[in-house]
Amino acid sequence: MSVPVMTVPGEPPAPATTNAAVRATGLRKTYGSGETAVHALAGVDVTFAASEFTAIMGPSGSGKSTLMHCLAGLDTATAGEVWLGDTALTSLRDDQLTTLRRKRIGFVFQAFNLLPVLDARENIVLPMQLGGLRPDPAWFDAVVARLGLRERLGHRPHELSGGQQQRVAIARALMPRPDVVFADEPTGNLDSRSGAEVLGLLRSSVKETGQTVVMVTHDPSAAAYADRVVLLADGRLAGDLADPTAESVLDALRGLGA
Amino acid sequence: MRTVVLTQLRTHAARLIASTLAVVIAVAFVVATLVLNETSRSTVLETVGARYVAAAAVVSAPYDRPFTDDDVTALAGVGSVGAVAPSYETGVQASVPGRSGSQYLMVESVADAPQLRWQELTTGRLPQGTGEVAVSDRARAEVGDVLTVSSYDDEGEETTAEATVTGIVDLRGDPEAGLYGRGFVTEDQARAWQAPEPLEVRIAAGPGFSADQVRADLAAAAPAEAVVRSGEEQAEKAAAAMMGDSTALAGVLLVFGTVAVVVAGLVIANTFAVLLAQRTRELALLRCVGATARQVRRSVLGEALATGLVASALGVALGIGLAAGVSALVGSNSAIPLSGVAVPLYAVLAGLGVGTVVTVLAAFAPARAATKVAPLAALRPVDTAPLRSRPGVLRLVLGLLMVVPGVLLLAAGVLTASVYVGLLGGVLSFLGVVLLAQRAIPPVVAAAGRLAGRFGGVPARLAAGNATRNPRRTAATATALLIGVTLTSAFVVGAASTKATAQAGLEAEFPTDVLVRSYDADLPASLNRTLLDVDGVQRTAGVIGGDVTGPDGEPAYVEAVDPAEAGAVLRSTDKIDLPSTGVAVLPEWAAETWSVQDGAPVTFTADGRTVTLQAKVTGFEQGVLVEPDALRSLLPDAGTSQLWLLLDDGDPDGQVSTVDAVTDAVAEADPEAQVTGVVTQRDQLNEVLDILLLVVTGLLGVAVVIALIGVGNTLALSVVERRQENGLLRALGLTRGQLRGLLAWEAVLVAGVAAVLGVLIGGAYGLTGVASVLGNQGEIVLDVPWLQVAAIVVVATLAGLLASVLPARRAARTSPVAAIAA
Repeated sequence: MSVPVMTVPGEPPAPATTNAAVRATGLRKTYGSGETAVHALAGVDVTFAASEFTAIMGPSGSGKSTLMHCLAGLDTATAGEVWLGDTALTSLRDDQLTTLRRKRIGFVFQAFNLLPVLDARENIVLPMQLGGLRPDPAWFDAVVARLGLRERLGHRPHELSGGQQQRVAIARALMPRPDVVFADEPTGNLDSRSGAEVLGLLRSSVKETGQTVVMVTHDPSAAAYADRVVLLADGRLAGDLADPTAESVLDALRGLGA
Repeated sequence: MRTVVLTQLRTHAARLIASTLAVVIAVAFVVATLVLNETSRSTVLETVGARYVAAAAVVSAPYDRPFTDDDVTALAGVGSVGAVAPSYETGVQASVPGRSGSQYLMVESVADAPQLRWQELTTGRLPQGTGEVAVSDRARAEVGDVLTVSSYDDEGEETTAEATVTGIVDLRGDPEAGLYGRGFVTEDQARAWQAPEPLEVRIAAGPGFSADQVRADLAAAAPAEAVVRSGEEQAEKAAAAMMGDSTALAGVLLVFGTVAVVVAGLVIANTFAVLLAQRTRELALLRCVGATARQVRRSVLGEALATGLVASALGVALGIGLAAGVSALVGSNSAIPLSGVAVPLYAVLAGLGVGTVVTVLAAFAPARAATKVAPLAALRPVDTAPLRSRPGVLRLVLGLLMVVPGVLLLAAGVLTASVYVGLLGGVLSFLGVVLLAQRAIPPVVAAAGRLAGRFGGVPARLAAGNATRNPRRTAATATALLIGVTLTSAFVVGAASTKATAQAGLEAEFPTDVLVRSYDADLPASLNRTLLDVDGVQRTAGVIGGDVTGPDGEPAYVEAVDPAEAGAVLRSTDKIDLPSTGVAVLPEWAAETWSVQDGAPVTFTADGRTVTLQAKVTGFEQGVLVEPDALRSLLPDAGTSQLWLLLDDGDPDGQVSTVDAVTDAVAEADPEAQVTGVVTQRDQLNEVLDILLLVVTGLLGVAVVIALIGVGNTLALSVVERRQENGLLRALGLTRGQLRGLLAWEAVLVAGVAAVLGVLIGGAYGLTGVASVLGNQGEIVLDVPWLQVAAIVVVATLAGLLASVLPARRAARTSPVAAIAA
């Protein structure tokens, strides 16, 4: 799909690198100040390639969630820049960020992914409707079919199993064909079978439709589904694995002392 | 547990603001009512009783045996008596220089002894001898004016004398001060102006004697029929005689106070229910670490008790302040007796008691629910399933059991025009409606939500879902508003219909705006022309009249008016029959005297001329009325006996000045003629009804305000509860504005539904109320003031919207991260 270019006058021109879906340079996030200051992110430079499935890993408190929040425009960084394609997120106002999230970013959270008052179909099309857009029926059918939700579209979230709820969340994330889907511990609340199903679906969306997916997880076997694993420790990059397996991820994590 | 209660209060103080506010307002209302009532009572006591409080004793005689001079001398001769002041009272006509008419002055004697004088002067001094008078403000005279005073003796013989105004007496606070002017003169002057023997003697104690001693001595010395009271007793008695009506008013005010308290109770119960729902995990944790269910319940009730006490104390203070404000505003320049503020202890205690008890009672059900929290709830993740309330079957049955007979009683009240049956039915059915509202409101809100979702976009659709997620809470919130709106609109519709009915009744009773008539001679022919030129006079109709001979051979006075001309001038022809060609309208007494049946011929003669007309017997009280042609054929020179005037519609002040102008014009043309300005009477009645309507609407407004606090409160708590959800929406691309819109829609749905339902129910109550109250007083005119009714709906809905502003601001600040950081 064509990506609207949102540049703000006076900002540095977008770099020519086109293969990067998301890019962060010198990203810092500091809570508090002075001696009590906590550096959740202490200067992170990272690039996520388009049509790739990347996992962000790290021990608790390593800053992996904060990194994802900043990359997704959910939180503002203290310093540094985030680029989504050619758009500098750090210069956008709240409403611009909101619209951008609506159109160009998909989310899958660990829990509380769906609005309880809406049924599955309404939840799936919610971000598009918020922007007053009509979902493409063919794409909707394709996504729903792929995620096996056709029979569940009229159900409210509390009538769905945990795995089904996560599948609805993935469908919602894929609907607007976003630049990137961010998944935050998407299998954290699921049994292993449902977890594997969800990860397989994320992976197939990358392979089959070229969707870019960035996933935060602490589970090495979940990270093994990714094309690449970025390791984080104490707010800094601490490793980068290509074609990971559960074992190689576990080894790398041990190297971090986790 | 006490530490827990206090810590809870400190941490959640902000969340308790709404219920505190509701209690404060309700208590303030009750206390202000009681304080104003007491203030008004003590003001009357001070003003009406002013003359008595300084007296050691007051001796009163029965009407048929007033005090003679000897009696007074005997009283004065009692050893312990210091001074006596017999009250000589009389009425005179006085004219003030520079003003045309004379006015009635009620004259009373001023005590000779300074210690028994109670009058306070704004300027000048009290009279010191005959030929001097001090007057009240109402007499509109100035110091130095020489009044011409006419007094009348028993035979009606008029005596005219002059009296110089020496001072103006301040009667502020006296509710009767505005009725007529008052004059204060020496005893001798009062007797010279034909004051009868006194019925009352005020007595001051001599030096060194106690009031009790004086009363004991007087009891022995006074005539057998006389009554001896202390000054205070007499003051209380006089005040009570005047206050009869105002206690009824206080009763009405307290009914509205009760409404405010009930509404506040609903809001409080709601607040606590939601507060506790939010703290489920907290309470469960308490249970986990070993608190018993009883301890949890006591902690919740303790919280309610503390909130209730603090809020009630604030409410009492606010109520007293409010009363003082009203008193200061109203008391200084009106007939309403209010000055300063008198705070009775019972008002303070009632305020504290009502507020605290209502708060604790309202918290009772939520407290019970809180004890049912299982300790394990602390460990479970947040339940995202929508809350469902069990359908209250008991409530439904109870509601129907009250509504059905209530409505039947209401119908019976209307049909039999019986106020008490209607009232009983009204109260019963309204309680039923409140119970049923809990069940009826959620589906109505859901339906309204579907409608709103059609054109309100995603926020409206989400709001519709949210508004019905917790049906019980939505119902309680809306019910509080519903009660206020129902009562307000019932009153507005009822008052409008009462006004219309009274208006129609008055117009039928007094169909002419202004009536000019002369009993002795014909009105000057030129007068009609003159009056038509008066500004504000729209049309006139002349009535001619003269003496003819009736069918029985006796003289009869017959009047004639052109029916077309008269019809155009009269406001109503409901209670007057106008003649038509060949017809004589005969009142029943005339038909009886002349033995004429309805429709039979009736013959009049005059100077040998004869006219025979068809009799039309009327049940209305009017004279014999024929067509002008018929009367002129008997009396060619019949003169004008009455002129009927129709004034321009418009502002009452303009009409009053028109009546004054007409009076002046008539007085100039024919000093004997009388002018009756009925229009001003109608205007006065309207004014009274309008003021009453305004006051009561304002009072009910208090209930609506409390209910709206409830709306804001419910929303605020929803915002807290849905923090994660709102965060998710923000993450998914809901802008801040859309989130505010979501909350606004929710408020509008709840408030709008409550307002519309309330107006419908209230309108029905207003109309049936009027029908059962006025049903036995002739024809009822039902009037629905659509504009005001629409205004109620709009105002309540907009106020609901306003109530959503703060919660919405808070919601909009929700960080998108909130969805993830659970």
